Amino acid sequence: MKNTARNLYLALASVDSSKTRLVLFVLTVAMFAIAAGAPDAGGGMIR
Amino acid sequence: MILAAAVLAGFAAGFLRAARAGRPYRTPDLRYPALVLVAFLPQMFAFYLSRTDLPNLGGFGEWGRVILVISQLLLLVFVLFNRRQPGFWLLGLGLALNLLVILLNGGYMPISPETVRTIYPGVPDSQWQIGHRLGNGKDIVLLPEETRLWFLSDRFTFPEGWNLLVAFSFGDILIALGAFWLLWSLGGSSQPSPMLVNEESR
Repeated sequence: MKNTARNLYLALASVDSSKTRLVLFVLTVAMFAIAAGAPDAGGGMIR
Repeated sequence: MILAAAVLAGFAAGFLRAARAGRPYRTPDLRYPALVLVAFLPQMFAFYLSRTDLPNLGGFGEWGRVILVISQLLLLVFVLFNRRQPGFWLLGLGLALNLLVILLNGGYMPISPETVRTIYPGVPDSQWQIGHRLGNGKDIVLLPEETRLWFLSDRFTFPEGWNLLVAFSFGDILIALGAFWLLWSLGGSSQPSPMLVNEESR
């Protein structure tokens, strides 16, 4: 159990690099903007 | 599309700003970012995958409006938790205005028949109906005189000749500006502005 927790911690720590954090942050902002907005850019109707 | 463009432009501008000043681009610690994913995923299935040939659930039918409102409420909670981040008040205001007009018009963003004809040139009127959802998107076709808070609906389009067939709301403009502001500001100094320091020392 202790080893599993340690491995999980190490895995999370390796994910928390600055570049990964930056990518996740930009993705979060992009998802927020797309979900919060409601523009109609075509395509929805023409199927 | 315009919102994704604002994110890309804001990130590029912020990155260039940081590079010119020889600073690293900062990444803020957002609180509860998982809320955004939880809000985004149902919308992806209801409004975006349903426009593609990927497996989809046909826009979730009438559940689309429930998904849209609940997911925007989740985003509002996310904004409240992160309100101290730059640009978030603009993001929150845009979101709140969109949510308000959506709630007052049956759970979808209203769009006028005139605007539908503008962004879907060549598509016959028989493809859509007043009072019904526009395809599998977030919009509902309503006459302006039957739309509550019409000025907050998807009533803006790009000028003819720009070849950008998009309809967007005032709330969308604020969200785009807020996203740009947030991403641009992270390329600046991490020092708080003198105005903020004065406010905090009171």
